[in-house]
Amino acid sequence: MSANIRPAGVFDTGYAQDIALNRTRTDKIQAYGGFVLLLLIPLLTVAGPLGLNIVPQSWIGIINRIGIFTIAVLGLNILIGYTGQISLGHAAFMAVGAYSAAFMVRGFTVGDFAFPALPFWLALPLAALFTGLVGLLFGLPSLRVKGFYLAMATLAAQFIIPWVLRNPLSTWTGGSNPLQVPFPELGPLQFNSSSEMYYIIIPLAVFMALAARNISRTRVGRAFISVRDNDLAAELLGINVFAYKLQAFFLSALFAGVAGALIAFEDNTVSVASFGLDTSILTLGMLIVGGAGFPLGPLFGVAFFRLVEDIVIPFLKDTLLRPETLNSIAQTLPFLDAVKINSSLDPIMFGTALIVFLILEPRGIAHRWEILKISWKLRPYSH
Amino acid sequence: MTAALRDPRKLPSLIATVAVIVIALVWLGPLIASSAPNRLVQSGITGLLVGGVYSLVALGIVVINKASGVFNFAHGGMMMVAGFIFFSFFTTSNIALPFALIYSLVTVGLAVSIFGWRNLLRQPSLIVIGVVAVIALTFVLTLPGPNYKWIRGIVGGAMGAALLGLAVERFTIRPLIGQPLFASVMMTLAVSLILNGTTQLIWGSQPQTLLIFSEVNPIGIEVKASPLRFDTAELLGGNISVERTRLYAFGLSLVAFLAFWLFFRYTSVGLAMRATSENQMLAQSVGLRVRMILAIAWAIAALLAGVAGVLHGGATNLDTNMQYLALRAFPAVLLGGIESIGGALIGGLAIGLTEEYSKLLFSGDIGEQLAPYIVLMVVLVLRPEGLFGQKRIDRI
Repeated sequence: MSANIRPAGVFDTGYAQDIALNRTRTDKIQAYGGFVLLLLIPLLTVAGPLGLNIVPQSWIGIINRIGIFTIAVLGLNILIGYTGQISLGHAAFMAVGAYSAAFMVRGFTVGDFAFPALPFWLALPLAALFTGLVGLLFGLPSLRVKGFYLAMATLAAQFIIPWVLRNPLSTWTGGSNPLQVPFPELGPLQFNSSSEMYYIIIPLAVFMALAARNISRTRVGRAFISVRDNDLAAELLGINVFAYKLQAFFLSALFAGVAGALIAFEDNTVSVASFGLDTSILTLGMLIVGGAGFPLGPLFGVAFFRLVEDIVIPFLKDTLLRPETLNSIAQTLPFLDAVKINSSLDPIMFGTALIVFLILEPRGIAHRWEILKISWKLRPYSH
Repeated sequence: MTAALRDPRKLPSLIATVAVIVIALVWLGPLIASSAPNRLVQSGITGLLVGGVYSLVALGIVVINKASGVFNFAHGGMMMVAGFIFFSFFTTSNIALPFALIYSLVTVGLAVSIFGWRNLLRQPSLIVIGVVAVIALTFVLTLPGPNYKWIRGIVGGAMGAALLGLAVERFTIRPLIGQPLFASVMMTLAVSLILNGTTQLIWGSQPQTLLIFSEVNPIGIEVKASPLRFDTAELLGGNISVERTRLYAFGLSLVAFLAFWLFFRYTSVGLAMRATSENQMLAQSVGLRVRMILAIAWAIAALLAGVAGVLHGGATNLDTNMQYLALRAFPAVLLGGIESIGGALIGGLAIGLTEEYSKLLFSGDIGEQLAPYIVLMVVLVLRPEGLFGQKRIDRI
């Protein structure tokens, strides 16, 4: 948690003040100003109304992805960072969210009964709720098992859910083929490009982040933390451990459902293949690198990985790994070739980043950030 | 039954057990009865043969968990990389001397360093042994021609597996001592990502044919051994064919399983490993070198992974799907009980049988994609400690 170092002259006189999100007026101005600036970014691209070319258009897509995955990792943070339950099946819950939202906006028929197509604004929360219920179902083993055994139960979810989507439900999902999803609409407005989806994704991401922050400030959040720190002691304090574990699973799957539905609407297509075990591991890695149990951890982790994947790796490919360099490598080491190097770059970079963080900074970037903030506030005296 | 009726806390698990049995009888009974008897026997045989390799994989996971308390999600990656290393030494007939020398030096260096560098200086005999080992291994690896492919493959593959296990333990697991379970789970997942990337970097993502169980066909080209056929038309209403590659892989798996079991049971290192797994601090206080034991455990588990990888690769193909095979061995581990070596055998065979029978009874990819995980969920709900595991009692 954030260190309790206040600017000089600010004193807490009550509990409400102690847990307030914005403790000073400067905090408040920074928060609201930052949000407004964030909303202005798409206006500065070529596609914006002013035609300014300050921000490259490709950044909008990257920021959208960061927003979506931040929502997913926020859910994982509630489950792992606060409640201490390991989940290896987060991507499967994202798949549930994506497919249920897609069904709802497309409308579907079961036998003779045709469900009507719902608007996006109704489908999104309903899909999130449904995903939460599925998460509840796979959280049930936490009644009897914990730790590694629970992780195995969620690993089973990671394999069972995509199988169910691919086989028994294939009449509706189209099996392994991608499913088309229409654009969200609001009256005359059509959200059919990433600049327009930006105005759905970013406010939603901010809203979900605030929701997660608020959950962690309430009785529920404190109960989660007590379950994480020592579940037996929590039970002796009168906390219903199983009920809170189930709540954590529900909330985590709900966040994953929102993220999955947003992926479906951003890409306008859903396919099971994009929600495999590797995506689950990716979200876990984002949480580790960002910092589990910190409110800002998910954002840092997601931003780190998106920047590595969308900026650093393309940069490497443009400079260090140009075709002629690759060819000369292939001549000295005959078993290497350009295709293999390109395809193996992603997993090796990701795994290395994860190992480096686990060994050198297991509490993640958010912990570094807290240290940085404290040392900035205490300057020029270090303690 | 009566105990469960008296204790209301056991009631849910009793109801679940009864429900599972009823569903199994009502749903599967007609399906089994309507299948041809030869298909049933065929699936049973294939399932057992497949299960042998699962047992070997499960044993590797159990060994690491018993020694160091880590659940190794990188076992599939280790299988894959060790299998591919074996493949490279098996098929390449002229290994460059500098490469062989560096490879032997690194492996022997890492192996000797588990005794501690200070002991190395105190005991010059270790250095002599190391130098002799490096020269001997380099000589074996550079043997030319296809006549020596077996010794080259086995020595090179074993060195690669041991190197892999020792390196993973030294550079990724040891720095995590004192960290929570989640960190070690993430670390093995990260290692498996890196191993996956390395495999794609060096060997590509195309499947490779590993001809260890081979015969020469009439045209004179080496091919995979053809299946054995048994004529059981009168007895079972159809013929049964057993793939020879799977049969050999199964036999060798059992031999390897038995060898490692004897190692744990009867050697002093095995005894030390079992002591370490019981209680690390107690083992340390009676003078066991826990760090060395952990390194040896990882090397042994990597060797097991290598054997399983080579046998599975010989029975089917070497490809990047092998990491999912190791994930399917986790249900086998939990079914047998995570502490139990015999349980790994039973669990592996049971998962193999489940896979083959569900392939027979239902269409689609249910066998490999779903069945092991259904077993996993059933085990977790009904009997989390597995068939032969110890029941955990938590103390505050």
